[in-house]
Amino acid sequence: MKTKITAFIALFLLSISVTAQIDRSVQPKPAAAPAITLEVPGEFELKNGLKVLVVENHKLPRVSYTLTIDNQPRVEGEIAGVSGILGAMMGNGTTSISKDEFNEEIDFLGARLSFGSSNAYGASLTKYSERILELMADATINPLFTEEEFQKEKEKAIEGIKSSSKSVSAIASRVGGALSFGKGHPYGEFVTEESLNNITLDNVRAYYQKNFNPNNAYLVVVGDVDFKTVEKQVKKYFKKWEKGLDVTSSVPAPYKNVGQTEINFVDMPNAVQSNIVVTNNVDLKMNHPDYFAAKLANYILGGGGEGYLFLNLREDKAYTYGSYSNIGTNKYGAARFSASAEVRNMVTDSSIVEILKEIDRIKSEPISAEALKNAKAKYVGSFVMALEQPQTIARYALNIKLNDLPKDFYKTYLKKVNAVTVEDIQAAANKYFSSKNARVVVVGKGSEVISNLEKTKFPIKYYDTYANAIEKPVFSKPVPAGVTAQTVLEDYLKAIGGKTAVQNITTLVQEMSASFQGQNMVMTIKQKNPNLFANDVSIVGMGSVFKQAFNGETGYMAQMGNKQPMPEEMVSKMKDKTGLIDELNLLNDSSKKISVSGIEAVDGNDAYVIAIEDSKGETSKNYYDVTTGLKIKSVSTAKTPTGQEVSQESTFGDYKVVDGIKFPHTTSLPMAGQKVELKTTSIKVNSPLTDADFN
Amino acid sequence: MKKNLFSLAALLLAGFAANAQEVKFEEYDLSNGMHVILHQDRTAPVITTAVMYHVGAKDEQPDRTGMAHFFEHLLFEGTENIERGDWFKIVAANGGSNNANTTDDRTYYYEVFPSNNLELGLWMESERLMHPIINQIGVDTQNEVVKEEKRLRVDNAPYGKFIENIKLHVFKKHPYKGTTIGKMEHLDAASLEEFQEFNKKFYVPNNAVLVVAGDFDVPSTKKMIEDYFGPIPRGEDIVRNFPKEDPITETIKAKAYDSNIQIPAIMAAYRTPAMTERDAYVLDMLSTYLSSGKTSKLYKKLVDDEKKALQVGAFNQSQEDYGTYILFGLPLGDNTLESILAGIDEELVKVQSELISERDYQKLQNKFENDFVNSNSSISGIANSLARYYMLYDDVNLINNEIDIYRSITREEIQAVAKKYLNPNQRVVLEYLPEAKDEN
Repeated sequence: MKTKITAFIALFLLSISVTAQIDRSVQPKPAAAPAITLEVPGEFELKNGLKVLVVENHKLPRVSYTLTIDNQPRVEGEIAGVSGILGAMMGNGTTSISKDEFNEEIDFLGARLSFGSSNAYGASLTKYSERILELMADATINPLFTEEEFQKEKEKAIEGIKSSSKSVSAIASRVGGALSFGKGHPYGEFVTEESLNNITLDNVRAYYQKNFNPNNAYLVVVGDVDFKTVEKQVKKYFKKWEKGLDVTSSVPAPYKNVGQTEINFVDMPNAVQSNIVVTNNVDLKMNHPDYFAAKLANYILGGGGEGYLFLNLREDKAYTYGSYSNIGTNKYGAARFSASAEVRNMVTDSSIVEILKEIDRIKSEPISAEALKNAKAKYVGSFVMALEQPQTIARYALNIKLNDLPKDFYKTYLKKVNAVTVEDIQAAANKYFSSKNARVVVVGKGSEVISNLEKTKFPIKYYDTYANAIEKPVFSKPVPAGVTAQTVLEDYLKAIGGKTAVQNITTLVQEMSASFQGQNMVMTIKQKNPNLFANDVSIVGMGSVFKQAFNGETGYMAQMGNKQPMPEEMVSKMKDKTGLIDELNLLNDSSKKISVSGIEAVDGNDAYVIAIEDSKGETSKNYYDVTTGLKIKSVSTAKTPTGQEVSQESTFGDYKVVDGIKFPHTTSLPMAGQKVELKTTSIKVNSPLTDADFN
Repeated sequence: MKKNLFSLAALLLAGFAANAQEVKFEEYDLSNGMHVILHQDRTAPVITTAVMYHVGAKDEQPDRTGMAHFFEHLLFEGTENIERGDWFKIVAANGGSNNANTTDDRTYYYEVFPSNNLELGLWMESERLMHPIINQIGVDTQNEVVKEEKRLRVDNAPYGKFIENIKLHVFKKHPYKGTTIGKMEHLDAASLEEFQEFNKKFYVPNNAVLVVAGDFDVPSTKKMIEDYFGPIPRGEDIVRNFPKEDPITETIKAKAYDSNIQIPAIMAAYRTPAMTERDAYVLDMLSTYLSSGKTSKLYKKLVDDEKKALQVGAFNQSQEDYGTYILFGLPLGDNTLESILAGIDEELVKVQSELISERDYQKLQNKFENDFVNSNSSISGIANSLARYYMLYDDVNLINNEIDIYRSITREEIQAVAKKYLNPNQRVVLEYLPEAKDEN
């Protein structure tokens, strides 16, 4: 009786939808939800521990076999890549079938059989399926390891690393994992040419012996098979697979998350897009009560074309082809949350800001009821649609085993999805997504993006493509046509008040103050045309601590009253000067070679770099802001008493006009191995100075 | 008796299995010229709604390349009844997924939903065709997005520019000489009116095929299709008259540079006949013979035995008017590009001068049978195939009997086709090289 009623209702609904006029201005409502059935695979276990799951599906005349060995992740260290080599060598013959015969037979049958270091996959038409299973078992139990194959796979792996050495996404993935988990973590370590060269065939054999065992292995059979027959076949072919030792080791803990958000930058000069990954580590397991809320929260933030990230970075700003987020789960507690985008160079900084903003938004604002409803619908839909593939049932059953899930995990899946609340989402976002303690891994073209990244004010750490910390590299941009050292220097003179005004300076007295090693210091510099110079540093309460003077011919230096003649080298340098403003000298002095060597970023501002080489071959560099024309930095190389070369960096800022000329009012100078910030307190132009001031 | 019954059942099952392969479908035209194909399969509660338009990169004005692909983006922007930005939301909020793609020949849009959202899928596709909103905001946004797509897929991708370099030399007159993604300056230069005209010309029901595949009721679905698509007015007939290529009679040597690669590649590309020609099927088999699988001739020789190459392979790009057959190799270690090409040529000469072995021939047949079984394994895949066979081959039955064409190809035909098309003077040889230094 009951079925009849349902049928009647169904008919009734049907007739309504057939006769009603459509109104296309209204979005059609879904019909009644389709009923779903969740089958359970057949199971059996071999004495050696191999567990087998069987899903019968006769729609197409084909069968697939998937072998998964659930080993703990382990560090490969010095011989990183050994598992990869094993995977590449397996499935190429057995101790009784040569490689050529083996591969020839699989190809001949139009079948597939492939191996990884802890898995295998075989597929064929039903009529050849038993033979494929037999070959799979033989290759699993009696693999063929020859020195020749080993060398070849090694060489191929080395070429493979080379071939991806300029791939931005490959580098981003390698560096991202290493920085997040640590290079000493199984998920953070990576293969290098060096580690590949360390591997021997014995290492590969040992790895196979230890890890390729039935103890924790699962074989999933899907397709046009009959359970009883498959059981017989699997037992026949896999019973000789011997159990290995149970190896349990502890998986190392991944790195802790960073204390404050920082940028980790890797320079790839060939990049036309920056690869941005905002990431933090998470400990999320599939069997944790937060699982569904965390997954849904991630979906709403960046799960697809309707996520916060996509709608902002692509649909609104058009920074990228797509921006997405992902939250991993891992039964050993080592997984990552990441939000990422590949964006054009120009908008790298803005993209980071927007990604962080969206992460903040889902943490701080409750999502709308509609967003939650939609996210749930998407999960329900995906769940229903996945059932089209017979593999899904097998995957669910295997997941339950691999992740220690409750038996009814998938039966109650939709119920659990529907139970998630707006509050659950916000709580999960706060627990698992980080915007204040995020690692922002950026792989891109430094010369085009770094000046903008510096403006974000996040600390920037630099890494090479192997995740080694390095000093900030020099990022040089091409100089536009028509710009020469002369034009840059002329522009500077123009920017500070014009060449004539500068030429009219005869004397200059600058007073500056600074805090140095906890004490207040005052520095007075006096200069007179063409090259007279005096410098007095005094500390409040102590008087003059350092003095330096040059009268045009000779000079001296005095430290705490201890007076010494100026060294020869310095005297000759002083003599070379022909004016009070360096740039005038440089333009007039033909003994110095000057050239513009590129454009580099200085604290977020692009600057022309003028390289200067004097007649003795000593070099220094001045940096002039591309936009303002002002000098913002100079770097010279000085020799220490022990003969080491050290680079001395001075920076200039806060330019203010005094008597029609712009002078920097903050200067930072290297002093006793430290950077000292000097504030200019007064500048006097053309005040009378006497010879006494310089003797 | 019991035993007999059992074997009878087994026989029935066997018969069923043999037929299970057949994809049943029904096709008809609406009065506005739109073609409709229905494929019912109620084994899972899933439905695909898809529309393929007969417009691709080859239909563009020469100074407006990239238009067809641009439309694939633009037509998600919204319609008179679907607000801008809501498209993806609606699909997701109803548990579905959707996407689109463009080739030189056609543009394809589809949604996959749990089957209770069939009407929604039809509504959305009819909205897209009937009255999409094409305005400046949409054009400007998608302009940037398409540029990012190009950077991602082409400019920043290792070996991402090789197809465009091949096409540039293989085709001199036919619009296949350009790329599907097109030139960005063309898109920048296109006015809003030009986009609207493109839509009016190509996005018309008489230039489209609708496919509904999966779990649905036939009569009520036909009614809905008529309700949603019937009122859309027919457009003008589209006349296509592309220039014919002259045969390539002398090797064309070319070079291209890629700053994203470290290992160079050598490519040999041949112009081949349209995908509907029997020779194109023969070339498909030849391509499989040479480069698909670990025991294919080129892989076995160059990668496995001689260890000259890191990788060798072939693409047989089948297209509506012409095809392109591309062989490529990446040298291992110090091997030169010339030595890879010489190795490839040795195998080509062999296949031209002698018949492939009986065993290799049987191997090819087994492979094609395996591919055929797997090609119809998902409802959405079947929908795509039905649309393609209708639009580009004009024969939907190929979904079930294309395998017969392969079965009928002989060893002699394979040899003849190799001789006819794969000669050194008929090809482009492209050296694809790492860029020494960034051009800046």
